[in-house]
This record gives sequence, structure tokens and C-alpha cells, in this order.
Amino acid sequence: MNTHVINLNPVAAPHAQTGESVSAVMLKVLLALVPATFYAFWLFGAPSFWLWLITIASAAAGEAACLRMGKREVMPQLRDGSAILTGWLLALSLPPWAPWWIGVVGGLFATTLGKQVFGGIGNNLFNPAMIARIALLVSFPVQMTYWVVPNVAPNLFDGLLITLGHTPIPDAMSSATLLGHAKTDLARGVDLLHTSLPGHAFNWVGARVGSLGETSAWLIAAGGVALIFMRVISWHIPVAMLLALAVPAAIGHHENPARYLDATTHLMSGGAMLGAFFIATDYVTSPNTKWGQLVFGAGCGLLTWVIRTYGGYPEGVAFAVLLMNALTPAIDRLVKPRVYGRTYGGKPISAEKGKRS
Amino acid sequence: MKAREIIRNGLWDQNVVLAQILGMCPTMALTSSASNGLGMGLATTAVLVVSNMAVSSVRKVVTEQVRIPVFIAIIATIVTLVDMSLNAWMHELYKVLGLYIALIVANCAILGRAEAFACKNGVVDSALDGLFMGLGFTAVLTTIGIVREVVGSGTVFSQASLLLGPHFAFLETTVIPGYGGTLMMILPPGGFLTLGLLLAVKKRIEIRQRNAGVAVVSVPSHCGA
Amino acid sequence: MNVATLREGISYQGGLLALFSTVTAAALVIAAVYTSPAIHVAEQHDLETSLAQVLPQGYNDNNLLQDVVHVKDADGVDVEVHRASKAGALKAAVFTTSSSGYAGPIVILVGISRDGVVQGVRVLRHNETPGLGDKIDEAKTNWIHAFEGKALATAKWLVKKDGGDFDQFAGATITPRAVVKAVKEALEFHQAHLDAIYASK
Repeated sequence: MNTHVINLNPVAAPHAQTGESVSAVMLKVLLALVPATFYAFWLFGAPSFWLWLITIASAAAGEAACLRMGKREVMPQLRDGSAILTGWLLALSLPPWAPWWIGVVGGLFATTLGKQVFGGIGNNLFNPAMIARIALLVSFPVQMTYWVVPNVAPNLFDGLLITLGHTPIPDAMSSATLLGHAKTDLARGVDLLHTSLPGHAFNWVGARVGSLGETSAWLIAAGGVALIFMRVISWHIPVAMLLALAVPAAIGHHENPARYLDATTHLMSGGAMLGAFFIATDYVTSPNTKWGQLVFGAGCGLLTWVIRTYGGYPEGVAFAVLLMNALTPAIDRLVKPRVYGRTYGGKPISAEKGKRS
Repeated sequence: MKAREIIRNGLWDQNVVLAQILGMCPTMALTSSASNGLGMGLATTAVLVVSNMAVSSVRKVVTEQVRIPVFIAIIATIVTLVDMSLNAWMHELYKVLGLYIALIVANCAILGRAEAFACKNGVVDSALDGLFMGLGFTAVLTTIGIVREVVGSGTVFSQASLLLGPHFAFLETTVIPGYGGTLMMILPPGGFLTLGLLLAVKKRIEIRQRNAGVAVVSVPSHCGA
Repeated sequence: MNVATLREGISYQGGLLALFSTVTAAALVIAAVYTSPAIHVAEQHDLETSLAQVLPQGYNDNNLLQDVVHVKDADGVDVEVHRASKAGALKAAVFTTSSSGYAGPIVILVGISRDGVVQGVRVLRHNETPGLGDKIDEAKTNWIHAFEGKALATAKWLVKKDGGDFDQFAGATITPRAVVKAVKEALEFHQAHLDAIYASK
């Protein structure tokens, strides 16, 4: 007889498991990002691929360095894929032709100061990818707002030279994102009915100016929906966020189309889709209850609209998510799940049918 | 209290910023460059020495019930006197520091030392405490300033000659020529980040020292370990 | 009554507060009396040097602080105009104006000669982003000198991005745009109120 059976060790709860490990969840999320990422590579060519690779490698390196410094096991934690996902999401939020050091600084920042200083996976207060994106945006506004027109894909080697900053990018290739263009025109007194959009500003298929994860909004959304069906994420945050962004946008645009962008533009621009499906839904930094998630998502969407419309920066998803991240503990305190066997008010439910004590 | 202990407390053990976490307003607002940090630190040191001496010399007269308003009146007066005399007689320096001097009143560290030290100790000890608390504060502010300036703009001690006189122009160094700068480090978040990292360094040194003192080698347990 | 019980009494405490208030107030009054002349001199000197820097050296021989006229602009706001003269002939006007930049108002000082040519511009106050918008500051770059010698008719008063003559900065267009606009408005104000500005007193 096997000795293991005789020496029964008491096993701590939970006894019923889904069999889902962190790495399995991460793998599904990464898979959901693949189509959008490949599309972005096709659109912006090799420089975007190198930037993506550098950013992920830096995020992983930052995580490994911190784990080593804290004298913890490096490989098991690195293999769970969370650092890779952080780097990947960060890369998708960057301008496709940003120089290599943007990826390095951003990747390192995300996993060290955005995650490991809080104690590593599960302990971070803010979404590490978005922390890094904001740090980059505030620190290097020139590089972080340099967008290239799509479909001018250099080959792998030429692309590497661009990413390494060896080949300067010709001015003719730069353009403004739709949100950026609208903000600039409003600032200098040109209303939105008379603005002349640059050629690549908007395109339903996605061949347009923007970050890697901005252009392919449809594929991002498709990946997100797949995640909902795979039950990796629930629908609450994405739906609440997109609705809370679209409704004020639609009302504003209806009242004054010269001042407010329409709902479709808001939904398909910037990081709205990426934010709603992949960033705001981060388990660690979003509330635990369904109602809490609805509040959280609605806050993200509304803040995004407010920042985009009235703020100094043209894009607000990252700021909105970080602000709501800060509110997550408060939301979790206010919106509590019902304790089993008790009412929402905390009173025990009587065993007698239909009667509550 | 032994002078050695007072000095050690001021510079390290009870450091205003790193141990007491006081004076956060100037620590954040005035460390975007090394010269700013140094200037604010020195101005605070001067006020701290004088206010400690003043508080210590009246400590026997002032009763416990009214000590706070009395101390505040003393500190505010000293700061205003420094402000006015700098403006009148060292106007160039005042143009650099003027904005910050009024802020010294709001620095809790001054009242903190009056409360924690000067009202219980003699004038000489209090002066010494003020001097080294101030120098400890200056050292931290200058360090944060150096880090933020090097990372943020690639220079160190720029405009030092404005603060310290033309003899100190040699301090002005460009560390990284042609550096585009990292704006975040000059903006307020840079202050928080640098202070946080500095606190972590102090903690690490203290843990090392404690471990070195104890015979049993035990690695401090991290979460979950 | 011994000292210990006296110390606990309300009159001792009140008296103590009164004493310290009096002493500190007296110290402040005395210091104010002694320092205020020196402070006044230093501040006048500051003002004069800052006014003089928007005019070429040796341009005027009068004290800019002494010759001041008040002119109302189009919105009815009172503008303090300092007049520069040489050998009794009025040559130029120096005044401040402002426009809203990226982060709050940008206050600039302009010197304009009587024939409507910009002699010099300095930014007195701004909250623009360090490293980006603060290039308008003369201490950082010499961008601000681009206005010198320009008049309303001889330049296109827009940044290059908008089809004008003045450079914008990489990553910051709003700030230089605001400064260009402010200088242009100063020129327009000067042109519209020539008579009032150069009226003999």
C-alpha cells in the first residue's frame, strides 16, 4: 500500500478547484492579443515588432532582477507569464516606431516600480502597464506623441535601425492621431465641423495612425469577447466602461457636434477597447464583486470621456484606469458581496422557507 | 545627552526626512535640482538653530498649556526676520530663495524639534541639535536634488553660483551632454519616487547592520517566505 | 502664593501669551522699519532692470519707472505703459501683457518702438512644463529673441505649424502659440493707442 494514503495530511481549503493556474489564465489572455498584435506588425512593419520584443524582454528582466534581489525563486514566477503580459500590454500602448529605450525604460519601470515594489504579483495597487505608460508619457512627451502613418513597412533590418534610433524618421511619415488632432484644433479655435482630418486619421478597417493597440480596435474587441466566452474575464467591466464612455459622448455630440466628438470615434480611438477588455479587467487592480466591477468600469469610461474632452492630454484611458485603481479598495469596502446564509444587510437568513429573521 | 548621540540622531538615526518623515512639503517641492535642495536645507538649518536656541532659553518660563502658540509665534517671527533681512541686504540670494523661506514656517520639523528637544534641553545642546537636524535635512534634500537633477535634466548643481556665489560655479556640471531629460523626475512624482527609493536604501542598510550585530544569520523574511 | 501655583493660574498663562505676542510683534515692527527702505530700493532696481532688458542698451536716457501713462485697452482694462525717451523725445513703450498658455497665464513684457517695431520681449511669469514649454524663458533658449525687429506688417504672426514665421518646440505648440499671440496683441494695442501712449503730459 502506498504510504501517502496512510499518512493523510489535512488539506487546507479550497477543496474544489477550477484547475486554472495563473499561467493558464495569462496564456489565454496572451492568445487573445495575438491577432491584434500581428495586425499591428503588418500595419507598422518591423520597428513595431522590435519595440514589442524589447518591451517584453525589459519587463521580464525587471521582474527577474527584483525577484533575485528579494532572494526569491526567479523562474517559477517568471514563467507564470504576468510580466510578459504587462510588457505586451505596455508595448501595445506605445507609438509603433518609438525608439528602443522607450521600451526598455517602460518595461523596467512597469515590473519594478509598478509591481515588485508593492510585493509582486497580486499586491500591486495600480496596473503596472498603465503606470509605465503614464511615466513615459509624462517623461518623454516628444517621443510618446510621435505617430507614423501606417502601411510604410520597412523590412526587419531597416526596422531595427529605426527602433535603435540609427535611421531618423522622415517628417513626412509623422501624423496626428484622431484624438490628438481634434484636441489641437479645438485648442486653436477650429471647431470639429471645420477641422480637416489628416488622411490616415480614421479608417474602419484600422489602417490608421495610432499606437499598436489603437489601430486594430476590432481585433482587440474580438479578443476581449473571446476572453469573456472563455470565462477569463466577466462582461461587467468592459460593458460598463464602454457604455459610460459612449453615452456621454453621444449626448455631447448630439448637443454640440462642433465641440464634442461622437460616440463611435470615442469607442474606436485611443486605448478604449484595449483598456476596457484587457487593462481595466486586470484581476489584481479591479474590484471583486459584480456590482463593484460595474461601478469601476463606469468610472473608467466616464473619466476617460472627461479627460479626453476637457483635459490637457488627448487620450485619457490610462489616467482613468489608474484613478479608478486607486478607488478599488474603497469600492470593495462599499460594495460587499452577500455573505452566504445572510442578507445583504448582514442579518442571518432563517432556515424556514420564505421567512427572514 | 551626549553630543555624539545628538549628532548621530540628526544625521541618521532620527533624520528629519528619512526617520521622522517630517518636512515633506519642502522635500517634494524644492528638490527638483541639487542647488534648490541645498539652498532650502541651509535656510532651514539656520532657522532651526535659532529657533531651537530661542525655545530652549524660554523653556522654564513657558507653561505646558500655552507652549504651542508661544513656540509658533517664536518660529514665525524668526522666519519673517530672516525673510526681511535677506530681502533687504542679500537681495540676489533672496530672489533665488525668497519663495521658499516663507514655507519654512510650515515645516513641521521646526516645531517638532522645539517640542521634542529644545523645550527639554539646554541652550547649547539645543543649538547642536538644531544644527545637525538641519544638516541631516540638508543632506537628504541635496541627495534627492542630485538624483532628480541628474536623471531629470542631465546636470548637477546647475545655477549653484546664484545660490552660493561665483566661487562655486565649478560645481555646475553637465553629467550627460545632449540629454533630452526625463520630465517626470523634475515634476512632483520624481520627488516621491526618489524619496521612496531613499527610504528603501536606509531600511536596507539598517537591516544589514542589525543582521551583522546578531550572531545568528537570519535573512529577513519576505512576504510568504 | 508660590510660583508653582501661580504658573497654573489663567492670568499667568494669559500674561505669558500677551508678553510673547508683544515681544515678537515689536521685533517684527523694528525689523520692518529697518529693512523696508533697503527692500524698496532693491525692488525698484529689480523692476528697472527688468524693464530695461526689453530695450536695446543705451536706447533711452530716462528712468522708465518715472514716466508712466495709463491706457485703457479694448476691454476697458487699465494698462500701465512705461515710456522710454532719449533727449526728451519719446521713443518707445514698455508694458506687460498676458495670454493663457498650456498651464495658466503667461505674463510677458514687451518693448515696442514708436514706429511699431518690437525691441524686445521677456517672459516674466509662466507655469509651462519644464523642459518643454519653458523654452520661452530667455534663461533656457534664445527663442524669445526671434521677435526683435519684427512689426505687424513684416511678419506672419503665427507659429510655423500654423503657417507663420515663428518656430514651435518639439512636443509643445500651445506655449509658443500663446506667446506669439500675446506679442501680436501687444503690437495691435500699441498701434490702436498711439496717440494716448505718446501724448505729452
